Amino acid sequence: MNTPPTTTARVVGQSWIRDRGDRVALAITHCTRCDSTWFPPRDVCSACASPDVEHTTSDDHGVAYASTVVRIGPAKFRPPYVLAYVDVSGVRVLAHVAGDEALEPGTPVDLRIGPIGADDDGEFSSYVVTPTTGGTR
Amino acid sequence: MKPVFVAGAAVHPFGKQRELSAAELGYRAVRDLIQSTGITPDRVDTGFGGSSYGGSLLAQRVLQRVGVSGQPVYSVENACASGASAVHLGWQAIAAGTADCVIAFGAENLSAFGGGTLPLTTADLEIDQGMVMPGAYAMRAQRYLHDFGATPDDLGRVSVKNRRNGADNPRAHFQKAVTAGDVAESRPVADPLRLLHCCPNSDGAAAVLLCSEDVARELGSPTVRIRGSAVRSGLFHTSYRDMTWPDITARTARAAYDMAELGPADLDLVELHDAFSIAELLHSEALGLAERGQAFKAVSAGEFDRDGRVAVSPSGGLLSRGHPVGATGVTQICEAYWQLTGQAGALQVPGAEVALTHVTGGGIFGVDNGACAVHILTTT
Repeated sequence: MNTPPTTTARVVGQSWIRDRGDRVALAITHCTRCDSTWFPPRDVCSACASPDVEHTTSDDHGVAYASTVVRIGPAKFRPPYVLAYVDVSGVRVLAHVAGDEALEPGTPVDLRIGPIGADDDGEFSSYVVTPTTGGTR
Repeated sequence: MKPVFVAGAAVHPFGKQRELSAAELGYRAVRDLIQSTGITPDRVDTGFGGSSYGGSLLAQRVLQRVGVSGQPVYSVENACASGASAVHLGWQAIAAGTADCVIAFGAENLSAFGGGTLPLTTADLEIDQGMVMPGAYAMRAQRYLHDFGATPDDLGRVSVKNRRNGADNPRAHFQKAVTAGDVAESRPVADPLRLLHCCPNSDGAAAVLLCSEDVARELGSPTVRIRGSAVRSGLFHTSYRDMTWPDITARTARAAYDMAELGPADLDLVELHDAFSIAELLHSEALGLAERGQAFKAVSAGEFDRDGRVAVSPSGGLLSRGHPVGATGVTQICEAYWQLTGQAGALQVPGAEVALTHVTGGGIFGVDNGACAVHILTTT
């Protein structure tokens, strides 16, 4: 899709999103006791219940684990829409894919901000992924 | 632990029955159970009713209509495993010796929600991103096909088999076989899944009578023994997971096999949670019915047919019976009861002596599924 990313007033998961220029990263939590990594962030580790956690930031890119085009789904997401599970910095995140087709497993992706749906209050955005194009990494 | 028996089963047929509430559907199943077993309500020590959307005190609203009131009664919610969880709690009570006779049922009305995908009411970040149950299974399917070289036609063979089985089941929502072409041409839902890869949202109810050895002898109705009963929750984490291996099913099955001192090779039939065609491939491998990544070949070779190596969903599965969420786990145990007592009619698996039932579900983020239940039953 050639549509430029747009940022609208409502951003789903806004408090977890970290701006990285034309890309974004996500706030994640790392447990210093059991070494597990969490998204969204949390103040107690959900594996070992330790409060000794550090808040860090993910990469702004990852790899698609699996993907689908949802053709029957809630109207506010304007089906058909594309979803993917994306592996980034030790966490797996479900995100919209800015595009029309499901991503092949293993596709490198960038994290960006983009519109994911609209309801009576207008359009809303969130973190989305796009296949990595060209650039070196 | 004391031995636990199933001494009766009743199903109110599944289908679109919008005008019948979960409580009314549950009542009809429990009424039929009481009539077919001859049990009197004063003999029932406790009751458990499973439902995901049936509302507060469903078990009381059902059981009090057949005279089971005053006793301890519980409504159980565990998503798709609600009904099987109700059976598990009844099993616990009898195995522990705190009850001799229990009614466990499941009941659900989904038509009230209208069409489309199952409503997800658990408000989490994946639902906020547009997740729906077919989408979750579609991604598992894409990855399974990618990792093991299976094709959408392999998924379709599961639908064809289970719809063929269900064509003979008078309790099923769909009682009509479909062809590979029907499946491949049905409406796309979430790629690669099409409509005929997905179970329908249904309304229905099922009930079983669980009892101790003494009560079983007294009743004189045909009985089967529960050799294993296990419930597990999903392992919660947000790191990478292998979505082609439903760990929750593997763990629950292991617990049930260990309790029963039986293994996958001992099974004559399995009623499996085929909410989507891909689910039969994933879960049959996790149950140990096929090697990893090989279940699609077993389906293709007819090994899971009613007369195959192990009959998988000889009743038609969720793909035929439909999926009134909380009722599914109980109806599987009813179908297994009729198989093991030789009352399954056209569905009968010849010589069936050992059956396993499996439900798993609950679309919350960070786990395979929220809850899974496995029961292993044998002729006594």
